[in-house]
Amino acid sequence: MGRKSTYRRLLNGLQRTLLLCRIVNLAGISTILVMYEIFEHTADLGIRVRGESADQLFADAAKALFSVMVSNLRDVRPTEEIVLDVVGDDFEELLHDWLAELLFTFHVRRLVLCEFQVRVVPGGLTAVAKGEAIDPARHEIDVEVKAVTWHGLKLEHESSGWVAEVIVDI
Amino acid sequence: MAKQGYHGPLEQIDECCWRIPRSYKLGMRVEGRIFADERLLQQVRHDQAPEQVANVAFLPGIQMASLAMPDIHWGYGFCIGGVSATDPAEGGVISPGGVGYDINCGVRLVRTNLKYEDVGPRLESLMTALYRQIPAGVGTGGPYLFGGKELRQLLAEGTPYLAKRGLATEDDLEHTEAGGCLAGANPDCVSQRAMQRGGDQCGTLGSGNHFLEVQIVDEILDDSAARTIGLEKDQVCVMIHSGSRGLGYQVCDDALLALRKAPAKYGIDLPDRQLACAPVHSDEGQQYLAAMRCAANFAWANRQLLMWQTREIFAEFFGRSWESMQMGLVYDVAHNIAKIEEHTVEGRLKTVCVHRKGATRAFSAGHRELPSQYRSIGQPVIIPGDMGRASWVLVGQPGSMEKTFGTTCHGAGRVMSRTAAVQDAKGRRIDRELAEKGIIAKCRSWKGLAEEQPAAYKDVSLVVDVVHRAGLASKVARLRPMGVVKG
Repeated sequence: MGRKSTYRRLLNGLQRTLLLCRIVNLAGISTILVMYEIFEHTADLGIRVRGESADQLFADAAKALFSVMVSNLRDVRPTEEIVLDVVGDDFEELLHDWLAELLFTFHVRRLVLCEFQVRVVPGGLTAVAKGEAIDPARHEIDVEVKAVTWHGLKLEHESSGWVAEVIVDI
Repeated sequence: MAKQGYHGPLEQIDECCWRIPRSYKLGMRVEGRIFADERLLQQVRHDQAPEQVANVAFLPGIQMASLAMPDIHWGYGFCIGGVSATDPAEGGVISPGGVGYDINCGVRLVRTNLKYEDVGPRLESLMTALYRQIPAGVGTGGPYLFGGKELRQLLAEGTPYLAKRGLATEDDLEHTEAGGCLAGANPDCVSQRAMQRGGDQCGTLGSGNHFLEVQIVDEILDDSAARTIGLEKDQVCVMIHSGSRGLGYQVCDDALLALRKAPAKYGIDLPDRQLACAPVHSDEGQQYLAAMRCAANFAWANRQLLMWQTREIFAEFFGRSWESMQMGLVYDVAHNIAKIEEHTVEGRLKTVCVHRKGATRAFSAGHRELPSQYRSIGQPVIIPGDMGRASWVLVGQPGSMEKTFGTTCHGAGRVMSRTAAVQDAKGRRIDRELAEKGIIAKCRSWKGLAEEQPAAYKDVSLVVDVVHRAGLASKVARLRPMGVVKG
């Protein structure tokens, strides 16, 4: 029983990770694989993202955030483009502020964003994000992320690349 | 961060209370105390919530103990179900994390004079009417729009402002904690971003665990208190659970940003960044308090407008005025809030800042803040359960004044993470399972219902049993759900 349930848990975990790998078409220019996984937190939701570079990590974290909120993100059309600048020196704080800015954009400008090009520069980041206005008829929005928390926030540069963890409040 | 259990010390104080000794972590200023019984203790150890109770004990000026209610579960920084009081005169701090993002998330209960037989046969169409007309879901705006000046007035004055606009009665105000308005709310301390984010959301349910339920009084456990509250068996009631919506989330976010450097500035050593805080008397502390009070006022107004819409929908549906259906407010309680209150600590009367995060005020009989109707029985406490089992009405007991700064539990408490709940519900139709039990559930998404399925929560009756036995609040009535609108 113990071994069987461990095996099943492993399998479920693997399936979940695979299911959460999204292939996103960047306006027909290139196709990238976005890797992120959800980790468990009793009341909220944890997102773990890995990237080869800081730029990619920040872009993938953004995509992960929108994937949590919009279950059919692949159907969102990249018809509108916005430019976002976020200021900050500390990478972890910058990641928090970047995701918080995107959340604000979602709630106030009512934009669902699906494509991100991020350039981390000294003193902050500059990003181009594409998406479209929220359309409840086409967009499956089933989770409200209230906020990006500071609890357990982590951004590290490992030998294999960059990894970040963030817990969002639902 | 993998999900891990708590392996630290939990020493039994009595049958309903467990101690985390100060010696557990260097830096704890007081001990931790968790209210639970043997049955719940295993679930308490299930995640890192007890560790968070210990971390909160680091806060400067903390009094008596870092406390947790039996519905404790893992939060961010502070656990959910946590209570802590700090004394500003001893350098006591205020922490936005001790309130949470959904400032003044809370619950209200509305009674009616309808019986099961009046509603049961038409329940499906009543629930459809409520589902269609009560604004719910992610970022949804409502029918009430408050322009810049009006919104500032609403933030400063709370529900009394709605009374001026004919959207609340004097009786509604009297039966709302703090009269639906915290003094000292200053809209100048609320950012434009917060106003933009929530300005059109007053009178909307939101999503996640927020709900509107039509319930039936299933059992009366205290006849005398139930009579005073106006509850009897087989009576139909409406319970509303919501908070300060986007405005409150942004107020908390803004405060955490403003307080980012405060711990270093004031020499406060913290084990978790989410515990960021500042002395209550500092500029940063005062700014947050003034903004938080605005968000709290907004939340009371939000629940008032949700109730107002419910009354109008009932009136239209049953073809009678809501007054003739006696749809009076039983009580409205906040369960995410920080308030300046007077409490006796170790024999001395002190003015303290009480943080309640997923915990409900439960003042005992005779307290001057209680409406005259309830002064002889204690404050009604509304405890929502999961959508398949039960909710409770309790009244505050003297034990809460002695042991928990006038506080009790707030709900069932999650036992399954959202991802685990969704996984668990794969291939199932939660709405059909509930329908088999006679409960009609309306939700915009399958996932939303899966995350909130009954099995994701502790049995609220076990939680309530602990606070009853611990003398924090006593049982008055159990209600069971008939119909649910999920956000």
